[in-house]
Amino acid sequence: MIGRRAAIAALCAAVAALSSVASSAPSPAPDILVSRQLLESQQLQVGDVVSLSSDTSGANPRSFRIAGQYEPTPDPMRLGAVRLEVRLHLPDVVSLTAQSDPLDAESVDAINVVLANDDEARATVRRLMTAVPGTVAERAGNDERRAAPFVVLERFHLAIAIVTVIASSVFLLALMLMLVEERRATVGMLRLIGFRRTRILQHVLAEGVVIAITGALFGVVLSVVLEGGINRFFQWRYDTALVFVHITPGVALRSVTVAVPLGVAAIFASSWSLLRGEGISLTRR
Amino acid sequence: MRALIFAVRSLVRQPGRTALGIIGIAAVGALLFDMLLLSRGLVVSFRDLLDSVGFDVRVTATDSPLPGGIRLTDATGAAAQIARLPGVAEAVPMRTATGEVWQTGRPVIGLTLTGMDPGARRPWTLITGADLGPSLAPPELVVNQSLMDEVGGAIGSEVTLRTGCDSSRAALAPRTFRIVGIAQFPFDDEAQHTAVMTRTALREACGDDKDEADMLMVASSGGAGAAVAAIRAARPDLVPVTNEQIVARMQTQGFTYFRQISAVLSTITLLFGFLLITVLLTVSVNQRLAEIAALRALGFSRGRAAADVLLQGAMLVGAGGILALPLGFALSLWLDQILKAMPGIPASMHFFVFEPRALVLHAALLVTTALLASAYPMWLVARLPIATTLRNEVVG
Amino acid sequence: MEPLIEARSLGKVFPMGGGPVHALRDISVQIAAGEYLTIRGPSGCGKSTLLHILGCVDTPSSGTLRFDGRDVSALPDHARSDLRLRSIGFVFQRFFLLPMLTAAENVDVPQAEAGVSRADRKRRTAELLDYVGLGHRAGHRPSQLSGGEAQRVAIARALANRPRLLLADEPTGELDRANGEHIAELLDRVQADGTTVVVVTHDAALAERAARRLVMRDGLIEREEHAR
Repeated sequence: MIGRRAAIAALCAAVAALSSVASSAPSPAPDILVSRQLLESQQLQVGDVVSLSSDTSGANPRSFRIAGQYEPTPDPMRLGAVRLEVRLHLPDVVSLTAQSDPLDAESVDAINVVLANDDEARATVRRLMTAVPGTVAERAGNDERRAAPFVVLERFHLAIAIVTVIASSVFLLALMLMLVEERRATVGMLRLIGFRRTRILQHVLAEGVVIAITGALFGVVLSVVLEGGINRFFQWRYDTALVFVHITPGVALRSVTVAVPLGVAAIFASSWSLLRGEGISLTRR
Repeated sequence: MRALIFAVRSLVRQPGRTALGIIGIAAVGALLFDMLLLSRGLVVSFRDLLDSVGFDVRVTATDSPLPGGIRLTDATGAAAQIARLPGVAEAVPMRTATGEVWQTGRPVIGLTLTGMDPGARRPWTLITGADLGPSLAPPELVVNQSLMDEVGGAIGSEVTLRTGCDSSRAALAPRTFRIVGIAQFPFDDEAQHTAVMTRTALREACGDDKDEADMLMVASSGGAGAAVAAIRAARPDLVPVTNEQIVARMQTQGFTYFRQISAVLSTITLLFGFLLITVLLTVSVNQRLAEIAALRALGFSRGRAAADVLLQGAMLVGAGGILALPLGFALSLWLDQILKAMPGIPASMHFFVFEPRALVLHAALLVTTALLASAYPMWLVARLPIATTLRNEVVG
Repeated sequence: MEPLIEARSLGKVFPMGGGPVHALRDISVQIAAGEYLTIRGPSGCGKSTLLHILGCVDTPSSGTLRFDGRDVSALPDHARSDLRLRSIGFVFQRFFLLPMLTAAENVDVPQAEAGVSRADRKRRTAELLDYVGLGHRAGHRPSQLSGGEAQRVAIARALANRPRLLLADEPTGELDRANGEHIAELLDRVQADGTTVVVVTHDAALAERAARRLVMRDGLIEREEHAR
């Protein structure tokens, strides 16, 4: 696995050995694809003929024609890395990187297998490893090792979200306290008139539900608006097609499910002292 | 009555609101503090780790990140040449490989192998047993505790090990090695299995006679920068980098996510704190307009009345900011524990590392937030039309 | 002898959505030091506006105002604040005591602002609270005082820095007759002790106590009355 990738990395590292040949003369050079980033960094164009070498000194270069450019698959594990890559036909890679060992011409890093029936993947892996000792077969897309960093990041984000929710709840409670304080005299008067505590509580909770739902929905709308801006900024910043923020209906629902009860609880908690007091005490200076 | 006492009494007048304001600032302040620690935590921790190994320069064949880069050829010669340069104390070739320990009736144990001859400096710390010797019958291994526990043997026991030196080659036959010591490897993560053997032993295990190395580890005697310059002059075909340069590269690539999230969350927490204080103070001022107008009528100047608001803001943020520090410290322990579970992160590295500058920056940001958050309510107070306010109070 | 206050052709216009409101039109009045003057009139006649301008809380749209021989019509805000702090005392209809401070602390506040030493403040505060008959309530907060008591503390506060002029805007407006009477007596005493007192009031009984009375209507002084 390491050898061929190392070779490709070396091709990128041998940028100094690249040379652009005028495309006016017809060339039998084999075709290659070049990553957009490499094309831009070396001011190359499709159709240019370049020299590639697997040696850092540029020894034994071979000419290739840039048949096209491609966009490297975004890799979150390589965020920030500039993707200077080249794709060649397998025989070209082999001939370019083969050394004195005759086995080099017959060695590859991996063989990708497409099964007729995906359900047979697990069994096929076992069969392969038994039939060809010394090889490692893995199911694609089931790579727990690759997913592990994202599991950790998810936990990290959840921890941050918990702290943010706590701070937001405190803020919310403070705001509700102020809101309720302004109603002190009004509530006192209502109690003096004869309104029961439970009746006033119904008003308070109804108001709390309306405020909480409105606020939560506004928050969801705001996050959807910000989603575009954040993604565009970081995609520009890191020259990547990765999506950094993705608001799904599930995420929105979860946010509303947390926000609404918090809002209602906050207004209820802040109204508690008001509801407990006697009407006359609420109207005093 | 002193301005400070006056402001305190104004805050204490609404204890619930004041307490919530302080707690809110403490919560966001704790998060802000942690984000400031995170912004440079990995860099500081990684730098300390690199420096602890004893080598301050690394020389490779290309500037491609390892592993997977092109190996140095004639590594012994290159190391000897570099070691003779002025400003260089030691140069040691190092080659890495993968390995598998085979045990009858038990699953194969994967491990990371390093081929390196122990010199005056070495990137491992022997805990027990002996260090590597030149013996090749059988060749010697120093392993980490995790591997030793997995193998289940004792020092002096033998293990069957198959090396994977080059993926383009066919599988190699397993060989017998003897474990002579247990060491701590600074770049190991929690679950990693690591072993080191001499370069000769690794070459034999790889079945080749290539004098190759993934890198040369160099210790300077007169500063890393000078050593790098000397190496570049002597061997322009090689790529020497200092520890600082490695750290800088990691900062722009490997650690960039954490820097970005640190910046984003720091901004959000400051905005949150700003909003909280602005709202608290503005509502407080709006509820006390008549009272403030009366004080102005009694002779309080605009500046005095505005200063009262500023002092209240400063005290809320100050009290919250102080409370934020122990909260932030506790939170950082929790977050650090979460992030250290990331595979490939050395166990001795930390994401949240305390630096005095983080404290200074934290205080400066909170002070700025207090000033900005108080600006609008101060403006309200300073612009308050006394007569109109008094009139409205009577009419209202 | 030069009057303490000399107002000439004072005018005050409030720009409103429905058109400008002329709260005061061409008011000229002189108030001698030590005088007791009341201002009466129907709601909206401009009496509170006049009081605010005399007390340098507001500035006239036209005309001039002299205080103790000095033109104060166009003073900058900090100078007017200073004048109010040291030379003018205010008493409001709704008292406006600071609820988080005790009675003594409320009286202390303007003195501290004027830079009076702690010892002198303590002495003066005790003296003033005794003067208004509330020495025994020094440690009580406004919420623990009755309306009459709160207004008396407000008067003590207004007298804290020995002002030359005491302005009272409807001082008995929120009080019952008995408490109103106590306040009226207190204002008599303040004036008898040498402070110039100007009171805006609806209360006819309070107005009659003054040696000189102005009656306003539509922003103008309709007539001036003197005690027999």
